[in-house]
Amino acid sequence: MSKYFTNIYDTVSTLWTGMRITWRHMMNIKRDNVTLQYPEERWPRPERNIGFEHADYNVIRSRLHVDIDDCIGCLKCERACPVDCIKINTIKAPNRGEDIPEIKHTGVTSNDTRKAMVVSRFTIDMSECCYCNLCTYPCPEECIFMVGGPNNEKHNIDYEFSEFDRNDLIYQFAKSITSEQKDTLKNPIPEVEA
Amino acid sequence: MTVDMLMDWFAAIGDFPVLAFILAVTISGIPLFLVMALNAMVAVYVERKVSAFMMDRIGPMGQGPGLHAGKWGLLQTAADAVKLLVKEDTVPESSDKILFKMAPFIIFIGAFIGLAAVPFSQTLQVVDFNVGVFYIIAVGSIGVIGIVMAGWASNNKWSLYGAMRSAAQIISYEIPAGLSIIVPIMMAGTMNLQELIHYQSGSVWGILPNWIIFNNPFSFLAFFIFFISAIAETNRTPFDIPEAESELVAGWMTEYSGFRWAIFFLSEYANMLIVSGLAVAGFLGGWRSPIPGLFDSGAWGLFWFMGKVASLIFIMMWFRWTFPRLRVDQLMHVCWKVFIPIAMLNIFGVGIWKLIFG
Repeated sequence: MSKYFTNIYDTVSTLWTGMRITWRHMMNIKRDNVTLQYPEERWPRPERNIGFEHADYNVIRSRLHVDIDDCIGCLKCERACPVDCIKINTIKAPNRGEDIPEIKHTGVTSNDTRKAMVVSRFTIDMSECCYCNLCTYPCPEECIFMVGGPNNEKHNIDYEFSEFDRNDLIYQFAKSITSEQKDTLKNPIPEVEA
Repeated sequence: MTVDMLMDWFAAIGDFPVLAFILAVTISGIPLFLVMALNAMVAVYVERKVSAFMMDRIGPMGQGPGLHAGKWGLLQTAADAVKLLVKEDTVPESSDKILFKMAPFIIFIGAFIGLAAVPFSQTLQVVDFNVGVFYIIAVGSIGVIGIVMAGWASNNKWSLYGAMRSAAQIISYEIPAGLSIIVPIMMAGTMNLQELIHYQSGSVWGILPNWIIFNNPFSFLAFFIFFISAIAETNRTPFDIPEAESELVAGWMTEYSGFRWAIFFLSEYANMLIVSGLAVAGFLGGWRSPIPGLFDSGAWGLFWFMGKVASLIFIMMWFRWTFPRLRVDQLMHVCWKVFIPIAMLNIFGVGIWKLIFG
Protein backbone atom coordinates (compact mmCIF):
# COMPACT_ATOMS: atom_id res chain seq x y z
CA MET A 1 0.00 0.00 0.00
CA SER A 2 2.82 2.41 0.78
CA LYS A 3 4.30 1.60 -2.64
CA TYR A 4 1.07 2.82 -4.19
CA PHE A 5 1.43 6.22 -2.59
CA THR A 6 5.18 6.47 -3.22
CA ASN A 7 4.45 5.73 -6.88
CA ILE A 8 1.92 8.55 -7.00
CA TYR A 9 4.34 10.88 -5.24
CA ASP A 10 7.19 9.93 -7.60
CA THR A 11 4.95 10.45 -10.62
CA VAL A 12 3.81 13.87 -9.54
CA SER A 13 7.26 15.06 -8.50
CA THR A 14 9.00 13.84 -11.67
CA LEU A 15 6.29 15.31 -13.87
CA TRP A 16 6.69 18.60 -12.03
CA THR A 17 10.45 18.48 -12.64
CA GLY A 18 9.83 18.02 -16.35
CA MET A 19 7.32 20.84 -16.42
CA ARG A 20 9.78 23.14 -14.68
CA ILE A 21 12.38 22.38 -17.33
CA THR A 22 10.07 23.15 -20.25
CA TRP A 23 8.85 26.29 -18.49
CA ARG A 24 12.42 27.46 -18.05
CA HIS A 25 13.15 26.87 -21.73
CA MET A 26 10.02 28.77 -22.72
CA MET A 27 10.89 31.73 -20.54
CA ASN A 28 14.51 31.88 -21.72
CA ILE A 29 13.67 31.58 -25.40
CA LYS A 30 15.40 34.87 -26.24
CA ARG A 31 18.66 33.52 -24.85
CA ASP A 32 18.41 29.85 -25.80
CA ASN A 33 16.93 30.18 -29.26
CA VAL A 34 18.89 28.08 -31.75
CA THR A 35 16.93 28.89 -34.91
CA LEU A 36 18.63 31.13 -37.43
CA GLN A 37 16.18 32.67 -39.90
CA TYR A 38 18.37 31.86 -42.85
CA PRO A 39 17.92 34.42 -45.58
CA GLU A 40 17.80 37.28 -43.06
CA GLU A 41 20.40 35.96 -40.61
CA ARG A 42 23.53 33.98 -41.32
CA TRP A 43 26.18 32.27 -39.34
CA PRO A 44 29.45 34.18 -39.43
CA ARG A 45 31.93 32.58 -41.82
CA PRO A 46 34.33 30.51 -39.73
CA GLU A 47 37.92 31.66 -39.57
CA ARG A 48 40.09 29.15 -41.32
CA ASN A 49 43.75 28.34 -41.33
CA ILE A 50 44.99 26.74 -44.53
CA GLY A 51 48.55 26.43 -43.36
CA PHE A 52 49.99 29.38 -45.27
CA GLU A 53 49.22 32.97 -46.05
CA HIS A 54 46.14 33.51 -48.16
CA ALA A 55 48.00 36.00 -50.27
CA ASP A 56 50.67 33.46 -51.19
CA TYR A 57 48.52 30.92 -52.87
CA ASN A 58 45.12 30.87 -54.41
CA VAL A 59 43.56 27.67 -53.16
CA ILE A 60 40.06 28.92 -52.77
CA ARG A 61 37.93 28.13 -55.73
CA SER A 62 34.77 29.99 -54.95
CA ARG A 63 33.49 31.12 -58.29
CA LEU A 64 34.74 32.29 -61.64
CA HIS A 65 35.17 35.91 -62.44
CA VAL A 66 36.13 37.65 -65.64
CA ASP A 67 37.66 41.10 -65.99
CA ILE A 68 35.90 41.77 -69.26
CA ASP A 69 38.01 44.84 -70.06
CA ASP A 70 41.04 42.57 -70.36
CA CYS A 71 39.32 39.86 -72.40
CA ILE A 72 40.44 39.70 -76.01
CA GLY A 73 37.85 37.10 -77.04
CA CYS A 74 40.34 34.36 -77.90
CA LEU A 75 37.89 31.58 -76.84
CA LYS A 76 40.68 29.55 -75.19
CA CYS A 77 38.78 29.25 -71.95
CA GLU A 78 35.61 28.19 -73.77
CA ARG A 79 37.53 25.36 -75.44
CA ALA A 80 39.24 24.35 -72.21
CA CYS A 81 36.04 24.04 -70.24
CA PRO A 82 35.25 20.32 -69.75
CA VAL A 83 31.55 20.94 -69.10
CA ASP A 84 31.05 23.69 -71.67
CA CYS A 85 29.62 26.16 -69.24
CA ILE A 86 31.41 29.14 -70.78
CA LYS A 87 29.76 30.68 -73.82
CA ILE A 88 31.48 33.48 -75.74
CA ASN A 89 30.35 35.39 -78.83
CA THR A 90 32.64 37.90 -80.49
CA ILE A 91 32.36 40.46 -83.22
CA LYS A 92 35.33 41.74 -85.15
CA ALA A 93 36.21 45.21 -83.99
CA PRO A 94 36.11 47.89 -86.71
CA ASN A 95 39.55 49.24 -85.79
CA ARG A 96 41.99 47.16 -83.81
CA GLY A 97 43.00 48.63 -80.46
CA GLU A 98 40.55 51.54 -80.49
CA ASP A 99 37.98 52.31 -77.84
CA ILE A 100 34.31 52.24 -78.79
CA PRO A 101 32.67 54.52 -76.21
CA GLU A 102 29.05 53.73 -77.26
CA ILE A 103 29.40 50.15 -75.96
CA LYS A 104 32.09 50.97 -73.39
CA HIS A 105 34.59 48.82 -75.22
CA THR A 106 38.20 49.41 -74.30
CA GLY A 107 40.67 48.82 -77.09
CA VAL A 108 43.82 47.99 -75.11
CA THR A 109 44.12 45.51 -72.25
CA SER A 110 46.13 46.07 -69.11
CA ASN A 111 48.89 43.95 -70.71
CA ASP A 112 49.01 46.45 -73.61
CA THR A 113 47.47 43.97 -76.01
CA ARG A 114 45.42 45.63 -78.72
CA LYS A 115 42.04 43.90 -78.96
CA ALA A 116 40.84 42.70 -82.32
CA MET A 117 37.47 41.49 -81.08
CA VAL A 118 34.49 42.93 -79.28
CA VAL A 119 33.09 40.42 -76.82
CA SER A 120 29.32 40.65 -77.24
CA ARG A 121 28.49 37.72 -74.98
CA PHE A 122 30.44 36.13 -72.15
CA THR A 123 28.31 33.92 -69.94
CA ILE A 124 29.36 31.35 -67.36
CA ASP A 125 26.70 29.00 -66.07
CA MET A 126 27.85 28.59 -62.47
CA SER A 127 25.31 25.81 -61.90
CA GLU A 128 27.28 23.73 -64.41
CA CYS A 129 30.77 24.82 -63.39
CA CYS A 130 32.79 22.00 -61.84
CA TYR A 131 35.45 24.28 -60.30
CA CYS A 132 38.25 22.47 -62.12
CA ASN A 133 40.06 25.75 -62.75
CA LEU A 134 41.13 24.53 -66.22
CA CYS A 135 39.86 27.68 -67.95
CA THR A 136 42.15 29.97 -66.03
CA TYR A 137 45.46 28.44 -67.25
CA PRO A 138 45.20 29.05 -70.99
CA CYS A 139 44.03 32.65 -70.66
CA PRO A 140 46.75 34.81 -72.26
CA GLU A 141 45.56 37.95 -70.48
CA GLU A 142 44.87 36.27 -67.11
CA CYS A 143 41.47 37.87 -67.07
CA ILE A 144 39.44 34.78 -66.05
CA PHE A 145 40.14 33.57 -62.55
CA MET A 146 38.63 32.03 -59.48
CA VAL A 147 37.47 34.56 -56.94
CA GLY A 148 38.80 33.98 -53.47
CA GLY A 149 42.13 33.94 -51.70
CA PRO A 150 44.33 36.75 -53.02
CA ASN A 151 41.41 38.43 -54.70
CA ASN A 152 39.62 38.71 -51.40
CA GLU A 153 39.90 42.48 -51.28
CA LYS A 154 38.70 42.83 -54.80
CA HIS A 155 35.68 40.54 -54.63
CA ASN A 156 33.73 39.29 -51.66
CA ILE A 157 34.00 35.61 -50.97
CA ASP A 158 30.42 34.48 -50.94
CA TYR A 159 30.22 30.80 -50.23
CA GLU A 160 26.46 30.58 -50.65
CA PHE A 161 25.74 32.09 -54.02
CA SER A 162 22.22 30.77 -54.10
CA GLU A 163 19.59 32.45 -56.25
CA PHE A 164 15.83 32.29 -56.41
CA ASP A 165 15.89 31.67 -60.16
CA ARG A 166 18.18 29.15 -61.77
CA ASN A 167 18.76 31.56 -64.66
CA ASP A 168 20.35 33.98 -62.21
CA LEU A 169 23.21 31.49 -61.85
CA ILE A 170 24.23 32.19 -65.47
CA TYR A 171 26.64 35.02 -64.92
CA GLN A 172 26.79 37.70 -67.59
CA PHE A 173 30.19 39.32 -67.93
CA ALA A 174 30.02 41.00 -71.35
CA LYS A 175 28.93 44.59 -71.49
CA SER A 176 25.40 44.99 -72.72
CA ILE A 177 25.20 45.60 -76.41
CA THR A 178 21.91 46.26 -78.16
CA SER A 179 21.14 44.44 -81.38
CA GLU A 180 21.37 47.70 -83.38
CA GLN A 181 24.83 48.31 -82.02
CA LYS A 182 25.72 44.73 -82.98
CA ASP A 183 24.49 45.32 -86.50
CA THR A 184 26.51 48.49 -86.86
CA LEU A 185 29.58 46.65 -85.58
CA LYS A 186 29.08 43.80 -88.04
CA ASN A 187 28.29 46.03 -91.04
CA PRO A 188 30.15 49.27 -90.42
CA ILE A 189 28.83 52.12 -92.50
CA PRO A 190 31.67 52.93 -94.91
CA GLU A 191 32.88 56.43 -94.58
CA VAL A 192 32.13 58.25 -97.76
CA GLU A 193 35.26 59.73 -99.29
CA ALA A 194 34.79 63.20 -100.44
CA MET B 1 -28.06 35.88 -24.80
CA THR B 2 -29.76 32.56 -24.62
CA VAL B 3 -31.98 30.83 -27.14
CA ASP B 4 -34.86 31.09 -24.67
CA MET B 5 -34.38 34.85 -24.41
CA LEU B 6 -34.42 35.27 -28.18
CA MET B 7 -37.53 33.12 -28.46
CA ASP B 8 -39.26 35.24 -25.84
CA TRP B 9 -38.42 38.33 -27.88
CA PHE B 10 -39.79 36.78 -31.04
CA ALA B 11 -42.90 35.65 -29.18
CA ALA B 12 -43.46 39.25 -28.09
CA ILE B 13 -43.27 40.39 -31.73
CA GLY B 14 -45.71 37.92 -33.16
CA ASP B 15 -47.00 34.36 -33.23
CA PHE B 16 -44.67 32.30 -35.47
CA PRO B 17 -43.24 29.61 -33.19
CA VAL B 18 -41.46 27.41 -35.76
CA LEU B 19 -39.79 30.30 -37.54
CA ALA B 20 -38.92 31.89 -34.22
CA PHE B 21 -37.21 28.71 -33.08
CA ILE B 22 -35.20 28.39 -36.29
CA LEU B 23 -34.23 32.07 -36.16
CA ALA B 24 -33.21 31.90 -32.52
CA VAL B 25 -31.09 28.81 -33.07
CA THR B 26 -29.42 30.32 -36.14
CA ILE B 27 -28.72 33.65 -34.47
CA SER B 28 -27.02 31.97 -31.53
CA GLY B 29 -25.45 29.18 -33.59
CA ILE B 30 -23.47 31.34 -36.00
CA PRO B 31 -21.48 33.18 -33.28
CA LEU B 32 -20.89 29.83 -31.65
CA PHE B 33 -19.36 28.50 -34.84
CA LEU B 34 -17.27 31.65 -35.13
CA VAL B 35 -16.05 31.16 -31.57
CA MET B 36 -15.13 27.61 -32.47
CA ALA B 37 -13.21 28.63 -35.59
CA LEU B 38 -11.50 31.56 -33.88
CA ASN B 39 -10.58 29.37 -30.92
CA ALA B 40 -9.01 26.80 -33.23
CA MET B 41 -7.06 29.45 -35.14
CA VAL B 42 -5.72 31.18 -32.06
CA ALA B 43 -5.04 27.93 -30.23
CA VAL B 44 -3.15 26.43 -33.16
CA TYR B 45 -0.97 29.52 -33.42
CA VAL B 46 -0.31 29.59 -29.68
CA GLU B 47 0.32 25.87 -29.64
CA ARG B 48 2.94 26.18 -32.37
CA LYS B 49 4.61 29.05 -30.58
CA VAL B 50 4.52 27.37 -27.17
CA SER B 51 5.88 24.12 -28.57
CA ALA B 52 8.60 26.03 -30.38
CA PHE B 53 9.62 28.02 -27.33
CA MET B 54 9.75 24.91 -25.17
CA MET B 55 12.04 23.27 -27.71
CA ASP B 56 14.27 26.37 -28.06
CA ARG B 57 12.91 27.08 -31.51
CA ILE B 58 10.98 30.17 -32.54
CA GLY B 59 8.10 28.68 -34.52
CA PRO B 60 6.42 30.33 -37.49
CA MET B 61 8.07 33.64 -38.29
CA GLY B 62 8.02 36.20 -41.07
CA GLN B 63 8.93 39.75 -41.86
CA GLY B 64 5.55 41.07 -42.97
CA PRO B 65 2.45 40.12 -44.92
CA GLY B 66 3.40 38.37 -48.13
CA LEU B 67 6.77 37.32 -46.80
CA HIS B 68 6.60 33.92 -45.16
CA ALA B 69 3.72 34.18 -42.71
CA GLY B 70 3.41 37.77 -41.61
CA LYS B 71 5.00 39.41 -38.61
CA TRP B 72 5.84 36.79 -35.97
CA GLY B 73 4.07 34.30 -38.22
CA LEU B 74 0.69 35.69 -37.27
CA LEU B 75 -0.82 34.75 -40.62
CA GLN B 76 0.37 31.15 -40.36
CA THR B 77 -2.96 29.70 -39.23
CA ALA B 78 -4.87 31.72 -41.81
CA ALA B 79 -2.59 30.30 -44.49
CA ASP B 80 -3.06 26.81 -43.05
CA ALA B 81 -6.83 27.22 -43.08
CA VAL B 82 -6.80 28.32 -46.71
CA LYS B 83 -4.53 25.40 -47.55
CA LEU B 84 -6.87 22.92 -45.87
CA LEU B 85 -9.88 24.34 -47.71
CA VAL B 86 -8.31 24.08 -51.16
CA LYS B 87 -6.80 20.65 -50.61
CA GLU B 88 -8.09 17.67 -52.53
CA ASP B 89 -10.84 15.85 -50.69
CA THR B 90 -9.88 12.22 -50.99
CA VAL B 91 -12.13 9.28 -50.17
CA PRO B 92 -10.42 5.87 -50.19
CA GLU B 93 -11.67 3.46 -52.84
CA SER B 94 -12.31 0.59 -50.41
CA SER B 95 -13.82 2.66 -47.63
CA ASP B 96 -17.41 2.60 -46.44
CA LYS B 97 -18.21 5.86 -48.18
CA ILE B 98 -21.38 6.83 -46.33
CA LEU B 99 -19.88 6.31 -42.87
CA PHE B 100 -16.61 7.88 -43.99
CA LYS B 101 -18.39 11.07 -44.99
CA MET B 102 -20.71 11.06 -42.00
CA ALA B 103 -18.03 10.69 -39.30
CA PRO B 104 -16.74 14.31 -39.39
CA PHE B 105 -20.30 15.58 -39.02
CA ILE B 106 -20.93 13.44 -35.95
CA ILE B 107 -17.70 14.54 -34.30
CA PHE B 108 -18.38 18.16 -35.18
CA ILE B 109 -21.92 17.99 -33.81
CA GLY B 110 -20.62 16.48 -30.57
CA ALA B 111 -18.27 19.40 -30.07
CA PHE B 112 -20.69 22.05 -31.31
CA ILE B 113 -23.66 21.20 -29.12
CA GLY B 114 -21.32 20.78 -26.16
CA LEU B 115 -20.17 24.36 -26.66
CA ALA B 116 -23.79 25.52 -26.53
CA ALA B 117 -23.97 25.00 -22.77
CA VAL B 118 -20.67 26.66 -21.88
CA PRO B 119 -21.33 29.77 -19.72
CA PHE B 120 -19.13 32.44 -21.30
CA SER B 121 -20.48 35.10 -18.94
CA GLN B 122 -23.55 35.92 -16.87
CA THR B 123 -25.62 36.42 -20.01
CA LEU B 124 -23.56 34.90 -22.80
CA GLN B 125 -24.67 31.30 -22.86
CA VAL B 126 -26.57 29.79 -25.73
CA VAL B 127 -28.67 27.39 -23.66
CA ASP B 128 -28.97 27.64 -19.89
CA PHE B 129 -29.82 24.07 -18.91
CA ASN B 130 -30.81 23.05 -15.45
CA VAL B 131 -28.65 19.94 -16.05
CA GLY B 132 -25.78 21.78 -17.77
CA VAL B 133 -22.94 19.72 -16.25
CA PHE B 134 -24.65 16.45 -17.06
CA TYR B 135 -25.43 17.67 -20.57
CA ILE B 136 -21.83 18.59 -21.38
CA ILE B 137 -20.54 15.26 -20.03
CA ALA B 138 -23.22 13.44 -22.02
CA VAL B 139 -22.76 15.10 -25.40
CA GLY B 140 -19.00 14.87 -24.97
CA SER B 141 -19.42 11.16 -25.58
CA ILE B 142 -21.09 11.64 -28.97
CA GLY B 143 -17.68 12.25 -30.46
CA VAL B 144 -16.69 8.64 -29.71
CA ILE B 145 -19.33 7.39 -32.16
CA GLY B 146 -17.83 9.58 -34.85
CA ILE B 147 -14.32 8.44 -34.02
CA VAL B 148 -15.23 4.75 -34.18
CA MET B 149 -17.17 5.45 -37.38
CA ALA B 150 -14.17 7.18 -38.96
CA GLY B 151 -11.82 4.41 -37.91
CA TRP B 152 -14.08 1.64 -39.17
CA ALA B 153 -15.09 3.33 -42.43
CA SER B 154 -11.49 4.12 -43.41
CA ASN B 155 -10.82 0.39 -43.87
CA ASN B 156 -7.29 0.88 -42.63
CA LYS B 157 -5.44 -0.87 -39.85
CA TRP B 158 -4.09 2.33 -38.33
CA SER B 159 -7.46 4.00 -38.36
CA LEU B 160 -9.18 1.03 -36.79
CA TYR B 161 -6.57 0.68 -34.07
CA GLY B 162 -6.73 4.39 -33.37
CA ALA B 163 -10.50 4.33 -33.16
CA MET B 164 -10.49 1.32 -30.83
CA ARG B 165 -7.93 2.88 -28.55
CA SER B 166 -9.78 6.17 -28.58
CA ALA B 167 -13.08 4.54 -27.69
CA ALA B 168 -11.48 2.57 -24.86
CA GLN B 169 -9.72 5.63 -23.55
CA ILE B 170 -12.63 8.05 -23.73
CA ILE B 171 -15.07 5.62 -22.15
CA SER B 172 -12.60 4.81 -19.36
CA TYR B 173 -11.71 8.37 -18.56
CA GLU B 174 -15.30 9.51 -18.51
CA ILE B 175 -15.68 7.66 -15.22
CA PRO B 176 -13.07 9.61 -13.19
CA ALA B 177 -14.13 12.83 -14.93
CA GLY B 178 -17.75 12.21 -14.05
CA LEU B 179 -16.93 11.15 -10.48
CA SER B 180 -14.83 14.29 -9.98
CA ILE B 181 -17.39 16.70 -11.36
CA ILE B 182 -19.84 15.24 -8.83
CA VAL B 183 -17.83 17.04 -6.12
CA PRO B 184 -18.87 20.59 -7.12
CA ILE B 185 -22.38 19.34 -7.83
CA MET B 186 -22.56 17.95 -4.29
CA MET B 187 -21.28 21.17 -2.80
CA ALA B 188 -23.45 23.56 -4.79
CA GLY B 189 -26.42 21.24 -4.88
CA THR B 190 -27.16 22.04 -8.51
CA MET B 191 -26.22 20.94 -12.02
CA ASN B 192 -27.05 24.32 -13.51
CA LEU B 193 -23.76 25.92 -14.57
CA GLN B 194 -24.89 29.48 -13.81
CA GLU B 195 -26.07 28.52 -10.32
CA LEU B 196 -22.84 26.58 -9.82
CA ILE B 197 -20.90 29.77 -10.59
CA HIS B 198 -23.16 31.88 -8.39
CA TYR B 199 -22.42 29.47 -5.53
CA GLN B 200 -18.72 30.35 -5.89
CA SER B 201 -19.10 34.09 -5.19
CA GLY B 202 -17.53 35.70 -2.16
CA SER B 203 -14.29 34.67 -0.54
CA VAL B 204 -12.87 32.07 1.83
CA TRP B 205 -10.29 32.67 4.56
CA GLY B 206 -10.36 36.37 3.78
CA ILE B 207 -8.09 36.39 0.72
CA LEU B 208 -8.86 33.45 -1.54
CA PRO B 209 -11.91 33.63 -3.78
CA ASN B 210 -14.61 31.19 -2.79
CA TRP B 211 -13.93 28.85 -5.67
CA ILE B 212 -14.77 25.21 -5.20
CA ILE B 213 -11.13 24.22 -5.79
CA PHE B 214 -10.10 26.18 -2.66
CA ASN B 215 -13.03 25.04 -0.57
CA ASN B 216 -11.58 21.84 0.87
CA PRO B 217 -8.74 19.38 0.18
CA PHE B 218 -11.05 16.90 -1.52
CA SER B 219 -12.30 19.37 -4.09
CA PHE B 220 -8.71 20.50 -4.64
CA LEU B 221 -7.79 16.93 -5.53
CA ALA B 222 -10.97 16.50 -7.57
CA PHE B 223 -10.03 19.41 -9.82
CA PHE B 224 -6.74 17.79 -10.84
CA ILE B 225 -8.36 14.43 -11.46
CA PHE B 226 -11.05 16.09 -13.54
CA PHE B 227 -8.57 18.16 -15.51
CA ILE B 228 -6.26 15.25 -16.30
CA SER B 229 -9.20 13.03 -17.24
CA ALA B 230 -10.45 15.84 -19.46
CA ILE B 231 -7.09 15.95 -21.24
CA ALA B 232 -7.38 12.21 -21.77
CA GLU B 233 -10.89 12.67 -23.14
CA THR B 234 -9.68 15.20 -25.69
CA ASN B 235 -7.04 12.72 -26.86
CA ARG B 236 -4.15 15.06 -26.24
CA THR B 237 -0.60 14.18 -25.31
CA PRO B 238 0.35 12.47 -22.99
CA PHE B 239 -2.88 10.56 -23.62
CA ASP B 240 -2.69 10.69 -27.42
CA ILE B 241 -2.35 6.96 -28.02
CA PRO B 242 -5.33 7.02 -30.44
CA GLU B 243 -3.37 9.16 -32.89
CA ALA B 244 0.17 8.29 -31.79
CA GLU B 245 2.16 9.55 -34.76
CA SER B 246 5.04 7.17 -34.30
CA GLU B 247 2.81 4.10 -34.15
CA LEU B 248 -0.42 4.83 -35.99
CA VAL B 249 0.48 7.64 -38.44
CA ALA B 250 -2.51 9.77 -37.44
CA GLY B 251 -4.81 7.18 -35.88
CA TRP B 252 -8.41 7.43 -36.92
CA MET B 253 -7.67 10.57 -38.98
CA THR B 254 -5.15 8.81 -41.25
CA GLU B 255 -7.34 8.65 -44.37
CA TYR B 256 -8.87 12.08 -44.04
CA SER B 257 -7.71 15.17 -45.85
CA GLY B 258 -8.72 18.71 -46.61
CA PHE B 259 -11.91 20.05 -45.14
CA ARG B 260 -12.95 16.84 -43.39
CA TRP B 261 -9.64 16.77 -41.57
CA ALA B 262 -10.06 20.46 -40.75
CA ILE B 263 -13.38 19.58 -39.12
CA PHE B 264 -11.62 17.03 -36.91
CA PHE B 265 -9.05 19.61 -35.98
CA LEU B 266 -11.71 22.21 -35.21
CA SER B 267 -13.56 19.73 -33.03
CA GLU B 268 -10.41 18.77 -31.14
CA TYR B 269 -9.74 22.37 -30.19
CA ALA B 270 -13.42 23.01 -29.47
CA ASN B 271 -13.36 20.01 -27.13
CA MET B 272 -10.40 21.56 -25.33
CA LEU B 273 -12.46 24.72 -24.92
CA ILE B 274 -15.45 22.77 -23.62
CA VAL B 275 -13.62 20.70 -21.04
CA SER B 276 -11.64 23.74 -19.89
CA GLY B 277 -14.88 25.68 -19.69
CA LEU B 278 -16.47 22.97 -17.60
CA ALA B 279 -13.43 22.83 -15.31
CA VAL B 280 -13.52 26.60 -14.94
CA ALA B 281 -17.23 26.69 -14.25
CA GLY B 282 -17.11 23.75 -11.88
CA PHE B 283 -13.94 24.45 -9.91
CA LEU B 284 -12.45 27.84 -10.76
CA GLY B 285 -15.37 30.17 -10.25
CA GLY B 286 -16.48 30.53 -13.87
CA TRP B 287 -16.76 34.19 -14.84
CA ARG B 288 -16.02 35.36 -11.29
CA SER B 289 -13.02 37.63 -10.78
CA PRO B 290 -10.02 36.04 -9.01
CA ILE B 291 -10.03 38.99 -6.59
CA PRO B 292 -13.52 38.98 -5.04
CA GLY B 293 -15.43 42.14 -5.88
CA LEU B 294 -12.84 43.56 -8.31
CA PHE B 295 -14.09 43.96 -11.91
CA ASP B 296 -16.63 41.32 -11.04
CA SER B 297 -19.53 42.28 -13.24
CA GLY B 298 -20.86 42.71 -16.74
CA ALA B 299 -18.46 42.29 -19.65
CA TRP B 300 -15.58 41.50 -17.28
CA GLY B 301 -17.24 38.10 -16.84
CA LEU B 302 -16.35 37.16 -20.40
CA PHE B 303 -12.80 38.37 -19.85
CA TRP B 304 -12.29 36.36 -16.67
CA PHE B 305 -13.92 33.26 -18.10
CA MET B 306 -11.89 33.31 -21.31
CA GLY B 307 -8.77 34.16 -19.34
CA LYS B 308 -9.17 31.15 -17.10
CA VAL B 309 -10.03 28.90 -20.04
CA ALA B 310 -6.98 30.19 -21.91
CA SER B 311 -4.71 29.41 -18.96
CA LEU B 312 -6.10 25.90 -18.70
CA ILE B 313 -5.60 25.40 -22.44
CA PHE B 314 -2.06 26.69 -22.02
CA ILE B 315 -1.48 24.12 -19.28
CA MET B 316 -2.75 21.44 -21.67
CA MET B 317 -0.18 22.60 -24.21
CA TRP B 318 2.48 22.68 -21.52
CA PHE B 319 1.64 19.06 -20.69
CA ARG B 320 1.70 18.13 -24.34
CA TRP B 321 5.19 19.42 -24.98
CA THR B 322 6.62 18.08 -21.74
CA PHE B 323 5.36 14.56 -21.17
CA PRO B 324 6.01 11.43 -23.18
CA ARG B 325 3.07 9.34 -24.36
CA LEU B 326 1.65 6.69 -22.01
CA ARG B 327 1.44 3.04 -22.98
CA VAL B 328 -2.03 1.53 -23.24
CA ASP B 329 -1.59 -0.49 -20.04
CA GLN B 330 -0.21 2.53 -18.17
CA LEU B 331 -3.16 4.54 -19.38
CA MET B 332 -5.62 2.02 -18.04
CA HIS B 333 -3.62 1.64 -14.83
CA VAL B 334 -3.76 5.39 -14.17
CA CYS B 335 -7.47 5.49 -14.86
CA TRP B 336 -8.75 2.43 -13.02
CA LYS B 337 -6.25 2.00 -10.22
CA VAL B 338 -5.43 5.59 -9.35
CA PHE B 339 -8.02 8.06 -10.50
CA ILE B 340 -11.21 6.14 -9.83
CA PRO B 341 -10.34 5.13 -6.22
CA ILE B 342 -9.21 8.65 -5.38
CA ALA B 343 -12.26 10.17 -7.08
CA MET B 344 -14.52 7.92 -5.03
CA LEU B 345 -12.63 8.85 -1.89
CA ASN B 346 -13.17 12.48 -2.83
CA ILE B 347 -16.91 12.02 -3.04
CA PHE B 348 -16.90 10.35 0.38
CA GLY B 349 -14.66 13.04 1.84
CA VAL B 350 -16.72 15.91 0.49
CA GLY B 351 -19.86 14.29 1.87
CA ILE B 352 -18.28 14.13 5.33
CA TRP B 353 -16.91 17.67 4.98
CA LYS B 354 -20.30 19.01 4.04
CA LEU B 355 -21.84 17.15 6.98
CA ILE B 356 -19.34 18.67 9.45
CA PHE B 357 -18.60 22.19 8.11
CA GLY B 358 -21.39 22.98 5.68
